[in-house]
Amino acid sequence: MSRSRWILAMVAALLLGAACSNDPTSGAPRPGTLTLRLTTPHADDGAMLFKVSGPPIDSATAVNPSLRLFTRRVDGSTIVGAVVGVVANGAVVTLQVPDVGAAAGYTARVLEVADRQNALRASLTDYTLTVAP
Amino acid sequence: MRCSVVVLLALVGAAPALAQGPAAGSWREELRRLRGASIVLSARGGAKTGLRPMGTGGKGGLARLLVPRRPTSVRDPASVAATIAESEPNDNVHTADSVALGDRAIGVVSPAGDVDTWFVDLTAGQFLSVDVDAAEVGSSLDPTLALIAPDGRTLLAFNDDFDGLDSRISYRVPASGRYYVVIRAFGATGGPGLTYAINFGTATCAAVGTEQEPNGTPGTAAPVAIGDSVSGEICPGDDSPMGDVDYWAFTAQAGTTIELDVDADRGLFGDAFIALFASDGTTRLAFNDDADGADPRLQHSIVTTGTYYAAVSTLADPGGNPFPYTLHVRTTPQGPGDPITVRADRVGQPLGLAVGSTGDLFVGDLTGNRVVRVSGQGAVTTFATGIPSPTGLAFDAFGHLLVASPADGTVYRVTPQGQATRFITDAGFPFWIAVAPDGRIWLTDVSDRSLRRYSPTGRFEARFDAINVGGFGPGPLAIGPSGEPYFSNGNEIWKLVNGQPQRVFRDGFVIWAFAFDVAGNIYAPAPAAGLIKLFDPTGTIVADPFAVGPDAPQAVAFGRDGTGATVARLFATDQRVGRVIEMNPAGVEHPGQPAGFVPPPFTLDVAAVSLLGGGALSAADLQFLDELGNHNGRYDVGDLQAYLKTVSGLPAAAAAAPQRRPGSDR
Repeated sequence: MSRSRWILAMVAALLLGAACSNDPTSGAPRPGTLTLRLTTPHADDGAMLFKVSGPPIDSATAVNPSLRLFTRRVDGSTIVGAVVGVVANGAVVTLQVPDVGAAAGYTARVLEVADRQNALRASLTDYTLTVAP
Repeated sequence: MRCSVVVLLALVGAAPALAQGPAAGSWREELRRLRGASIVLSARGGAKTGLRPMGTGGKGGLARLLVPRRPTSVRDPASVAATIAESEPNDNVHTADSVALGDRAIGVVSPAGDVDTWFVDLTAGQFLSVDVDAAEVGSSLDPTLALIAPDGRTLLAFNDDFDGLDSRISYRVPASGRYYVVIRAFGATGGPGLTYAINFGTATCAAVGTEQEPNGTPGTAAPVAIGDSVSGEICPGDDSPMGDVDYWAFTAQAGTTIELDVDADRGLFGDAFIALFASDGTTRLAFNDDADGADPRLQHSIVTTGTYYAAVSTLADPGGNPFPYTLHVRTTPQGPGDPITVRADRVGQPLGLAVGSTGDLFVGDLTGNRVVRVSGQGAVTTFATGIPSPTGLAFDAFGHLLVASPADGTVYRVTPQGQATRFITDAGFPFWIAVAPDGRIWLTDVSDRSLRRYSPTGRFEARFDAINVGGFGPGPLAIGPSGEPYFSNGNEIWKLVNGQPQRVFRDGFVIWAFAFDVAGNIYAPAPAAGLIKLFDPTGTIVADPFAVGPDAPQAVAFGRDGTGATVARLFATDQRVGRVIEMNPAGVEHPGQPAGFVPPPFTLDVAAVSLLGGGALSAADLQFLDELGNHNGRYDVGDLQAYLKTVSGLPAAAAAAPQRRPGSDR
């Protein structure tokens, strides 16, 4: 390779590298919020016990004032929580995570549900929890 | 059993009658009295002897009741229009002998079992007097007398003994016609020596004692000073077709408690009634029928200095035989809880009482089928409606008001917004209710005379038989210092220890819905006596009276401050006068025992973390939380929700969210 070609190749590589560093799909973590969304077959759920596993979670908050949330970090990759109040279809909990790009890595599961009269649901069929941006 | 339930409800509903029951005796005796009352009321002229069939019951074969002779004179034969001798056969209305008013009929009851019948023609409104002279003038006859209607069958009045053993009937005839008088010997005896004379006339009222007729209105009332006694006669007379009423006027000072005590039942079968009227002469402040046997007595706390009126009459037989009486007007010594303060007036017929967590009073209005709320400022508002004849009240662990309704065998649960729903429906006659510190619900079931225990959410747990405690009940109920239920059977307080009833103490009066202070002392309302007593935990009197201000106190409860803590203020329902009152707080030594459910000593966060695997609670705590919630044998998210409800930890929107199936978790 001639000297001039060598220099041209280096410049092109530098330009390509610079362009790559501005790509949002690049591998650098991006902090943000994810939402825990519930699908429930009932209209009178009063409390839910759940577990979220996956990448780290910085904190969790209830999505509105009609819910009260309690959480406990089991380990670096799992939290368990209980949310009490008007538990309904849709967003339930907001998760602060260090990398929203890892949303697909989270799994969430409903452990228990009680109706507003404190009775435990005998079946959790048709209950789903998803974690999404 | 339903019958007794209805009777008890009638007893409760007839609050004044209950409040004025005999000074001593059990509720069962009061029930008997209530049952007997209708007989007395329908048995004119026989108020005490009743409609006893000849030759059965009564004195036959039993020791004779010796009746004092009444100080009336035997009629002078010279004043009689005519003396008519009987003409046998005259055993029935078809063969009756004729007499006229003013006549004197004479005859003999012979042989044994003989019946003599007389008739007299009367016009509507005439006040007939039929007065027998027999034993009083030396005859061997112990007569009985009956008055029969013109149809020849209907018994209008009956009397056995009036002047000693001699009979008398006074009766105002409602319609013109031929009336029949039947005389016979008690026990169906007879013989030549059983002679009699019957004076047919109209009732006249003589001047008796210190009264001077007319005194039938407040305007004609005779004065009487407090501390004095007066006397008179209840005599219907021709001028008082509705029955005689004697008014007496006296002046009373505010802050005093006066007592009106009538003596009439001295074997003469006078059944007097006393009423107290306010200064306007028309507002009835208090009344009583029977307190000492058939004699009435009442106490009333005077709020305003002024003139008051005591009215003596009779309910049992207003058109019947006259009887004398003595009225004592006196003040009663006060207790440390006096004077009282009226916190709410015109509350209907207040019975049950519970104090909310912010200090408001919740009162069951027996006849209004409602619960009223009395604020700290005395504002009375209707809190819940549609609860038939509410009796016991208590707050549950979730802040709902539980209301026992014997009328339909239900305990209602009332939300803080006043919505009432059926909650416990498996008790026959839920009478009184209390909530223990652990949130469990206790009630007394009069249908099978038991105590029943429920979980905080209303799930039936256990039944405890209380038939063997005797008396009547179990009735009013309260939770003792150690969390065990105490209950009244009438004159006695019992407690349940390891499932077995143990008597704590006995008193001479029927004790209604009592309350404990933090020292374990018992404040016990005695409605029949019109006072509240204070006992120590062993049943020894601490103050008798503690307060005489109440007229007929039914239920007592301690006040609470804004934090829900009980304070040294004692309130009571005073059913007869429709009031909620407060005792003098200076006389209340201790705060009340904490009311109802007491949250356990751990925080909400600790309870939550335990559910999430943090494991900070003991096994007993976890069991408690499960019992508080859905009692499925383990601590779960439903139990955490229940606990949030009890400690007001739910978000406001969630607390107000509709409940799909109230009580359906049972």
